[in-house]
Amino acid sequence: MTTKKYKSKKAGERISLAITYVILILISLIWLIPFFMLIILSFRGEQVGMSADYLFPKQWSFDNYIKLFTETKFLRWYGNTMLVSVVVTLIQTVIVLVTSYALSRLRFKLRKPLMNLMLILGMFPGFLSMTAVYFVLKQINLTQNLLGLILVFTASSAMQYYICKGFFDTIPKSLDEAARIDGASRHTVFVKIILPLAKPIIIYTILTAFIAPWGEYMFTSFIMLGDPDKFTVAVGMKSWLDNPTMASEYFTVFCAAAVVVSIPITALFIWLQRYYVEGITGGSVKG
Amino acid sequence: MAEVSLKHIYKVYPNGTKAVNDFNMHIDDKEFIVFVGPSGCGKSTTLRMIAGLEDISAGELKIGDLIVNDMEPKDRDIAMVFQNYALYPHMTVYENIAFGLRLRKLPKEEIHNKVIEAAEILGITEYLNKKPKEMSGGQRQRVALGRAIVREPKVMLLDEPLSNLDAKLRTAMRAEIAKLHAKLQTTFIYVTHDQVEAMTMGTRIVVMKDGYVQQIDTPKNLYNYPANKFVAGFIGTPQMNFFEGTLLKKGDDVIVRFDNCNVEITVPYSMLYKTEPKYLEGKDKVCIGLRAEDVSLVTGGAKSGKTTIKVVVSHKEELGSETLVYGDVNLNGDGYSESSTRIIFKDTSEVELKAGDVVEVALNLDRIHLFDKETERSVLPRVPEYNYLDCSIKDGKLSFFGTEIELPEALRRDDCQGELLIPTNAVTLDGKLSAKVLSCEKVNDRYLLTLTLNGTRLYAVSTEPVDAKTVNVGIDLKKLTVTVQGEQIISPLAEVNKIDCKFVKRIAVKQVEVKGKTKKEKSVCFGFEVADAYFEAEEALTQKILSALGVKKAFATALKMECGVDDLMISDNGIAARVEETLDYGAEKFLKCVVGNDTVFVKTDREYTGDVFLTPNFERIGVTETDRDIKIV
Repeated sequence: MTTKKYKSKKAGERISLAITYVILILISLIWLIPFFMLIILSFRGEQVGMSADYLFPKQWSFDNYIKLFTETKFLRWYGNTMLVSVVVTLIQTVIVLVTSYALSRLRFKLRKPLMNLMLILGMFPGFLSMTAVYFVLKQINLTQNLLGLILVFTASSAMQYYICKGFFDTIPKSLDEAARIDGASRHTVFVKIILPLAKPIIIYTILTAFIAPWGEYMFTSFIMLGDPDKFTVAVGMKSWLDNPTMASEYFTVFCAAAVVVSIPITALFIWLQRYYVEGITGGSVKG
Repeated sequence: MAEVSLKHIYKVYPNGTKAVNDFNMHIDDKEFIVFVGPSGCGKSTTLRMIAGLEDISAGELKIGDLIVNDMEPKDRDIAMVFQNYALYPHMTVYENIAFGLRLRKLPKEEIHNKVIEAAEILGITEYLNKKPKEMSGGQRQRVALGRAIVREPKVMLLDEPLSNLDAKLRTAMRAEIAKLHAKLQTTFIYVTHDQVEAMTMGTRIVVMKDGYVQQIDTPKNLYNYPANKFVAGFIGTPQMNFFEGTLLKKGDDVIVRFDNCNVEITVPYSMLYKTEPKYLEGKDKVCIGLRAEDVSLVTGGAKSGKTTIKVVVSHKEELGSETLVYGDVNLNGDGYSESSTRIIFKDTSEVELKAGDVVEVALNLDRIHLFDKETERSVLPRVPEYNYLDCSIKDGKLSFFGTEIELPEALRRDDCQGELLIPTNAVTLDGKLSAKVLSCEKVNDRYLLTLTLNGTRLYAVSTEPVDAKTVNVGIDLKKLTVTVQGEQIISPLAEVNKIDCKFVKRIAVKQVEVKGKTKKEKSVCFGFEVADAYFEAEEALTQKILSALGVKKAFATALKMECGVDDLMISDNGIAARVEETLDYGAEKFLKCVVGNDTVFVKTDREYTGDVFLTPNFERIGVTETDRDIKIV
């Protein structure tokens, strides 16, 4: 009798794990290479334009960064973008949380139709309405104005309710009810019970609310057209690339700018991710 | 520390389903009330309406002396314990308990003292700094209880608080909640689907099914006197045995015949006095109910008697102290599925029964329960609704079993033989007939008197206990029914008139003088339109109707106005009515009038003919929505 050889379970697991890791490493390489290139290029000291066929600089230097902050309007754009993003983040987070709570907890007529309408409207790309929005802003004299930009970005905030509402739905309603019987008004319930439990989703909302205006190009370029002092980083940097000679000269500066632009988002994520813990509702009700 | 009163409480969802139907109950201070029923019976909905977490569709809810229908939960001074504990997960136990007190802005020291006191009562002092997720189910439920008691509410509401605990913990917590009730001296309302919890904890139990209250009574009375088959089957383990059968009266005996097996048992009629006679004719199917402990195994040489029955054993459930034996009275049937022949009995004897054994069991028919097969209502009620008698009418006199009563003009009929129905509440204790008192039995807050009037058995109810051996009784002739060969020749006078009406909005235009100029001032008023007559409605009544029906529907809904015979007055104007006849009951006179499609009765002191006008007494009217049959006022 011959005993058939079986691969041990452990060995099998090891092999499949190895394959998985190889694939993951490949994917992340593809994903990370542009970032590495960007960072490395930002330290290139020599002026060779875009056409250089080598990656690592022959002369490492911080010149690009110094040039970025002294010779260009980058700092101003950076300030503009930061201002718009922070204000939009604050307003949008509040609106999204409040809307989501209302849609999750209150029952009113047209609740379902409203939710569907917002969902469908959200599916259209925003720039479809660009000309109309521009026209309206023109009428109220808010073009080439950061306030106009903030208005545009926060106007449709409530439509981001979907994920947040889904999270609120998972917080047991009996918590609301218990609190209301304990003497809380709807507002108190929201502030003292729901918000502390909704940390992960608040973080998520803040991050998405910040990232959108931070990198937005389309609307900003339209609204701020012709006033370089009001540009955001995306519009400003693109303006360098529009001119071929400038593009060549500013290529490494562009890379340095890109690195600087990515800093706040990275920092924000690293700072907030520790609150991004799941299972926060554990123990409130029988699971 | 408050009474709770529910009057005609309804919960109707927008799609028309009625979750709770006409819930009426008065809960005394310090009572422990249990709502019990299968899932979806409306018990939790009712509790949530009391808590204010669910809107009341119609009806009036009072806590203490306040009508709380439109009050926020926080203002009702109640506390609630949820099935899933509903503890705030981001707060410690201490903060959880203190939350309600902090919202009420009590001084810190007082909060601390109260929290510590509550924690001591519940034995959770050592966990005060823990988060809920670090605790076990039993401890969490204690915290939830602590959060409720710390506020010293008027009413404690508990919504299936023990269903998430395991069996052993449940028994322990059951005792603890009972202890808590004794200690706190507060009104408790407890919802459960577990009849054991209900029976062990409640001072009174409300059994519900499909949104209707089936019976409200003490645990003992529910067990001994179930009002219908559902209550009988729901209360008590193992479930009551139900058999289909018929009853046939023969002389002083009644033969109980079981369907699906040829078994007949004879019982003396004296045990079934209260049974409605129509069930004793051997035609109407009844459901015979007997509890497992009223069935006992006949062992040894005991002879089979009149009340024994043969049973084939199908299987057993050993419970340690006793054994539940499942069998079938149909010797070909199996005792596994619930059927009208299955029988469960407790066996405490040492005899080892095997599946397939045919044994003889004795039925204790003293404790028989009988239900109508269709309506499932008890046909052996604790307080009979009617006295059933044979009677005859001769020369304007109604006579039954040697008793003669002069009939007033309204009830004069030709001579005939028939059947007489005297409602139990129509027998008054202030008449001219002398009756012997056989027994006086306390039934909840009333007393059931068993009387004999010239040898005829007669039931009456009284609010006071009766010690005397004889009493004088009278019969309220307005409530009598006489049937001759299936045809009612005397019908009871309707006590409540129902008239079609509509709720309407009117805009009144007044001429007002302002600074020497006359101006038109418009004001909206609401009222009822009854057969072309308009009555303005009081503010409170208007509010009730608008909140029950909604502003849009209120004016388009067909309503029925209900007012007692005494509450309709003849006046100079009002509802136009045509007098059909005057009914003379001797001491009282009534007008039979027609209003639209409705016939109404009005108490009067003189005769009218032709047309009259009626005005209802709006302080005492009721209003019902015709389509959905919801009592609004």
